[in-house]
Amino acid sequence: MKKFIVSFAVILLLVNSNLMAKTSLEWWQFWTDPTIKPIINEMIEEFETNNPDIEINVTDLTWSNGHEKIVIAFSSDTAPDIVELGSDWIAQFASKNKIADITKLSKNELGDYRGWDMATYNDKIYAKPWFLGTRVMFYNKTLLKKAGFDDSFIPYKWDDLKNGAREVTALGKKYYGWGSNTAEKHRLYKKFMPFFWSNKAQLFTDDNKFCVLASTKAIEAIKLYAWLHDSCGYVDNQRGIEDSFLDGKIGFIISGDWLLKRIELEKRKINFGTTLIPGPKLPGKSFLGGEFLAISENSKNKEAAKKFIDFITSAKNQVKFCKANRTATPSSKLASQDEYFTSNPNLLMFNKQINLSVNPPVDPDWVKIEAIIEEAVEEIIFNTDLIAEPLLDAQRKIEKIKGL
Amino acid sequence: MKWYKKTAFLLALPWLVTFVVFWLFPLVYSFIIGFTDYELLSDSINWVGFENYKTLFSDEVFLSSLSNTFIFVFGTIPFTTIIALLLALLVNGNYKGRDFFRSAFFMPSVTSMVVIALIFTNLYQRGGYIAMLVQMLGFNTPEYGFLFDKNTALYSIMAMDIWMSVGYYMLIFLAGLKSIPDELYEAADISGASQSKKFFSITLPLLKPVALFILVVNSIKSFQVFQEIFVMTKGKFDTSTAVYYIYDTGLTTNFQFGYVSAAAYILFIIIGLFSLTQFLLMRRKQPLW
Amino acid sequence: MVKKILKYSTLLGITFVMVFPLLWMFRVSLSPVGSLSISEIWTSSSYTLSNYYDLFTSNNMGLYLFNSILVGLIVTVSNILFCFTVGYTFARFQYITNKILFVTVILVLMIPAHIIIIPLYLICLEVGIYDSYLALILPWLVNPIGIFLVKQYIDSLPISMEEAARIDGASELRILFKIIMPICKPALAVLAIQVFFTNWNSFLFPYILTQSDQYRTLPVALALFQGHQAIDWQHLMAGSTISVIPVLVIFILMQKQIVSGITGGAIKQ
Repeated sequence: MKKFIVSFAVILLLVNSNLMAKTSLEWWQFWTDPTIKPIINEMIEEFETNNPDIEINVTDLTWSNGHEKIVIAFSSDTAPDIVELGSDWIAQFASKNKIADITKLSKNELGDYRGWDMATYNDKIYAKPWFLGTRVMFYNKTLLKKAGFDDSFIPYKWDDLKNGAREVTALGKKYYGWGSNTAEKHRLYKKFMPFFWSNKAQLFTDDNKFCVLASTKAIEAIKLYAWLHDSCGYVDNQRGIEDSFLDGKIGFIISGDWLLKRIELEKRKINFGTTLIPGPKLPGKSFLGGEFLAISENSKNKEAAKKFIDFITSAKNQVKFCKANRTATPSSKLASQDEYFTSNPNLLMFNKQINLSVNPPVDPDWVKIEAIIEEAVEEIIFNTDLIAEPLLDAQRKIEKIKGL
Repeated sequence: MKWYKKTAFLLALPWLVTFVVFWLFPLVYSFIIGFTDYELLSDSINWVGFENYKTLFSDEVFLSSLSNTFIFVFGTIPFTTIIALLLALLVNGNYKGRDFFRSAFFMPSVTSMVVIALIFTNLYQRGGYIAMLVQMLGFNTPEYGFLFDKNTALYSIMAMDIWMSVGYYMLIFLAGLKSIPDELYEAADISGASQSKKFFSITLPLLKPVALFILVVNSIKSFQVFQEIFVMTKGKFDTSTAVYYIYDTGLTTNFQFGYVSAAAYILFIIIGLFSLTQFLLMRRKQPLW
Repeated sequence: MVKKILKYSTLLGITFVMVFPLLWMFRVSLSPVGSLSISEIWTSSSYTLSNYYDLFTSNNMGLYLFNSILVGLIVTVSNILFCFTVGYTFARFQYITNKILFVTVILVLMIPAHIIIIPLYLICLEVGIYDSYLALILPWLVNPIGIFLVKQYIDSLPISMEEAARIDGASELRILFKIIMPICKPALAVLAIQVFFTNWNSFLFPYILTQSDQYRTLPVALALFQGHQAIDWQHLMAGSTISVIPVLVIFILMQKQIVSGITGGAIKQ
């Protein structure tokens, strides 16, 4: 009798545990501040309710050190199932086969999302775009008016920018025409490269055989950038520039959608406008980046992971997230057509700029190349009057890295 | 005798176990990695012998970070130690409000370094409070702010470090001061010794062990300065230090982990030699507490 | 009288320099989110406790505080206990490899955390303590600097007292804890300070060796307030103020220990 009860209990236990067998997914993500964390939790809860056999364990990463944590985990093959990666990190992990190739899993949704290029390495897709990030030109309408420009003035070409910046600077000692970033890692290049790309300069020749960082077009771009810095520049880090701009002291700055969030949350009374990054004669190109969701190569639950990723990146959830975080550019095309975006001229501007932006090459060496470019720009604007030499120097260093 | 040895061994067991598992293994691991070309995320790992060490000695970026580290160490430790001692002497007496002042001086040490670094990034901004103060005193301030000028950036961070550390070492000096028996001072008073004689003949010598402790601990910490650099300048404007270089080259921009492990051991040897020198210079035959 | 004024003005002056940035921090923590630019903080009259409220409700600040205090106390107590016993052993019993072992042990402290962290992470995974309280405690159970400190201190104590007690028939444990430990108070106090505060503000190791919210400590929580492009100053400063208070309390309590002084007897023969 005892034996029967024991074996019955064991069978019951086994049956129950099978019924309760949950797939557990680990997700590492970066959105942790009080305005947005509740949305993340809501989405997770909703997904778990709709999919009772999947359990999501989320780990919060800090923006300052999250990347290290991810690298350490992937290095020792103890990575989470799903990880949020910035666009400039994807190549590092893809090239070492640490994140899964999801080309097949994404086959049917290529047309529904924008940003796939940034996750494509060697013709394979390694991550799904979540949000895109670009930069536009913010300008202070009050200051421009004061400087003698009328209301309809929108600076879309370089000459406009130069004149506008010059006149605003001429207004007085405490006014500056241009917010110029100081040496800040991972930021400076996003301010300089738009000038570079707008002038149709390239990093490499089309056949990728030579680095052409020191081309004539590049030199023109850096000349303008340096002029703005020297003659009209309010030099500070990004925060300082934004603070000053919001205090009404700067005419033009390049910034992202988070500035709109600041203006809204801090109830700033500034009469500002947004416009596309200016080019030599027509609007030019801006920087493009984004946040992506990738699946670890070692994950044992790739299908479930993709299911969760698809849920998070669905149009409905993207709109929900963007509204809470004031993000301007969701990756889902459907989401970007939501009234929230189309009824706001500033958000529209960001989405327009997406079509006119360039992303850095998807290359595992990009972070090193980026550092070299930033050092060259810093050298030019802070240390010397030379322009071609630092660029040539950087060009040589980049060629060395790429083995050209 | 045997009983003692057994108990001693048992008492030392937790330490031995945690030391071997959590420290010896990582030490040996990282030492060995320093002889390879291992890169994070990579699957391949090759022995390169002393190649890393050789390259490091001609690596300008590393050497410059090392020189900044020396500037940091020699530029902060003397000030921190002396000011800490002065503060300890100041709050050693018995007077009204003494406890309040002790707490006030100690507060910076207790606050998160990252938060302090952020606060100071704000204070050091162009047009910030510190710039205003410096201008009031009649000096020129860098055009873009103290942290964005290679002539002032590192020194500004050093000043902040001194500000932040003195309260902590003051406390340790205080403990040292308190352990000097009053009888010694009383005896000196009876023989009519002056304040300064008492200080130099009694206080200072008896503080030597504490001072040595502070110097060693502070040096070890200062040679590895990282957090402030990371938060405030990310190594720009000639503020990169040895550990920042290791972090940047090994964990973020490049993943040359094997290479930087070798760099870490070069730093390790430097710190070791430095501490040893301190020991030898400060050693007395019978350190009296 | 003049001396007194001079003294107090110096003290107040130094206090101002020490405390000003922290006053600023406290003031910012009391300002409503997104209400004004940081530079106008002193002239504003808007105060609020909402940041603190947020931290304890939608954020888990209470948990993080508890974790930091728990881990801090455990590590400090264990260090006092073990550094004392091991330090005594090193001081009184000359082992063959004493000196060498000693030196190796101290050298451990001289390796930058970023190099140690990866193998340490691997070990924690291997041993199974990753992402738990044990990961926050075990590696720091016994700090070699503490052993060094105690050894140095005990080295200078005359052995006569112990020998007298032994002759009297007291057990070794009794001698150790009832006689020697009280004498070592200053060294142990210094050790406690060193260990507790190093642990309190420790960021990298807790960050890499844990991942769940439930084991998060204060420094990691504070780091989460540094947003992608903007810093949540108000909440960050509030969190930082909270981080300072328990330590100040402990400091005020411990002051009595440190400053009560060594009442005669100890060094005297």
